[in-house]
This record gives sequence, C-alpha cells and structure tokens, in this order.
Amino acid sequence: MVRIVLTPDWFMGFDILIEFFSFIVLAIFSFLSIQSYRMNRSKKNFMYVGIGFGLIAFAQLASILAKIFLYYDITVVQQVGSAIIANNVVNSVDIFYHIGFFFYRFLTLAGLYMIYQLHHKKISFENYLLFAYFIVLSAILSREIYYLFHLTAFFILLMIARNYYRIYKENKFANTRILITSFSILAISQLLFIFSSGTLQATANVIELISYALLLFLAIKIRKDGKKKKQDGDNIRYVGRNSAKRRKN
Amino acid sequence: MEIISDMLGVILQKGGKIKPTHLMYKANLSHKQMQGYLDELEKKKLVAKNDNEKESKEKISIQITPIGRQFLYKYSEMKEFEKTFGL
Repeated sequence: MVRIVLTPDWFMGFDILIEFFSFIVLAIFSFLSIQSYRMNRSKKNFMYVGIGFGLIAFAQLASILAKIFLYYDITVVQQVGSAIIANNVVNSVDIFYHIGFFFYRFLTLAGLYMIYQLHHKKISFENYLLFAYFIVLSAILSREIYYLFHLTAFFILLMIARNYYRIYKENKFANTRILITSFSILAISQLLFIFSSGTLQATANVIELISYALLLFLAIKIRKDGKKKKQDGDNIRYVGRNSAKRRKN
Repeated sequence: MEIISDMLGVILQKGGKIKPTHLMYKANLSHKQMQGYLDELEKKKLVAKNDNEKESKEKISIQITPIGRQFLYKYSEMKEFEKTFGL
C-alpha cells in the first residue's frame, strides 16, 4: 500500500518535535478553558473552547504516534504488522499510518469547527450532523487528495480569524489581537502545506511552530495579567466608582 | 461570583485585612447583604475573621485566606480568558 510522506528526510524528527510542542500548547489552552468552565458553569462556551482545543491536541498526538511508527518502524508495529499480514489485510505500518492520520485530520477539523462555531447562534442538530458528515468526508478523502484537508483547515482558520477580528473591533483587546495573529499564521501554514514539496513542507512546519509559540505567549500573558490584576485590584468593577449606589440583590 | 471576587479584591487591596465596615462601604453592600456574603465566604474558607480580636466587636477584622487568594487569581485569569476569546 502506498504511503505518501512529504516531509524531507533531513526534517524527519523535527516535525514530530514541533507537533509535540503544539500538543503541549493546545493542552494548556484546553486546561485553561476547562478550568474557567469549572469556575463558572453557566458559561458553556468555556467548555466548548476547551473541547475544541482538546480535540486538536489529541489530533497532534495521533499524528505524533503515526509518525513515530512510520519513521522508526518500531518493534511493536512489526509484531502487530506480522499478525495483520497473516490475515492478508494490509502491510504493517499502514495500520498506524492510516488510522493515525485519519484521526489527525478528523480531530483537527472537528476542533477547529468547534472553535469557529462558538461565536455563532445556536444551529440545529441536523446542521451539526451535516457539518460532521463533511468533516468526516474531508478527512477520508484527504487520504487520496492530501491537500483537501489543508484546504479545509485553511478556510476554517480564515473564518476563525475573521470572527476574532470582529470581536477585536469591539473590545480592542491586545490579547485578542495576538489570537488573530496566531490563527492567521496557522492559516498561512496550511496554505503552504497545500503547495508543499520538500523544503516548503519544512517551512510550513516552522510557520506552524511560530503560530503555536505565539499561542503559548498568549497563555503565559493571560496567566501573568490575571495575577497582576489580582494584585492591583483591577478586577474590581464597582468599588470606589459609585459608592452612593448600593448593589441590588 | 462577581460580588465575591470584588469583596476579596477589596480585602487584598487593603493588604489582605480589612474591617467589616470598610468592606461594606468599599464593596457597595448593605449590612445585611455583606453579612450574607461574609458567611458564605467564611464557609468556603475564602476569608477568616481574625481570632485574636474576636472579643472586641469593634476590632474584628476580616482576612483573606490563601484559598481566597487562589480563588481571586483563578477568577482574574478566567476574566482575562473570557475577554480574549470574546466569550
């Protein structure tokens, strides 16, 4: 069975490290939002952001595992593979290659869609089913048409960046600007993956790394600013501004 | 939750310790409201009444606990996160 590996030889291994870094950053964001949801359970959107980032984090994990088996063809795979060969189904590493990358594509698109959908009015169950169908279809077809996944991811990322741009126009918050920048850079990396061949593939990976580094910077900034505001008492909205007006129950 | 975080913020602004009357004034609460919230904060161990000064009612002070500080930190972080993502 044919396995398409576009990563240049000299870059193999580095791409796994980049994905591992991405996994850590995405897991941090997932943790931050789930933690916020646990504090304020009335805001379901915290949970959806957490699930969205969590799904993309698991996608990275699936890709890492698939690549480890693919690049290094380790013993476990050979053992599993021999059992499968006995059944005459597929070749050893192919199992991890196809299942791993399918889950990578499916979970990435599902996670991105979840983040995109956050700022839109509630849609019907049928619409969710329809989107789920297209995401699964895109993940399956990307096996043969590799750029279909990157193209879909590119469009969803563009729409996410557009959503946050709308929010930024209202709140003018520096953190939202960082978020827009990192999602836009991530979109550019997906565009490069579409036209990828050898060095371009490595460049796309590095650009992806930059966007995740920016997201990590944002996570640190959120924590730091939260701490600073706590000490300064900036989070106190009413105190001292209108002492004559008592709160209503 | 916002009122609770405001109350804790006021205490922290005052160096972690405040007199109930000052807290009432700073947090824009009525006496009845403040008592209700204070009971809740004490129950959740976010604040503690200063034990040494319990005898004299006028000298009672309310102190933020490490759990209260942690809560306020997490709350501020949540607010930052909420604003960043426009949630």
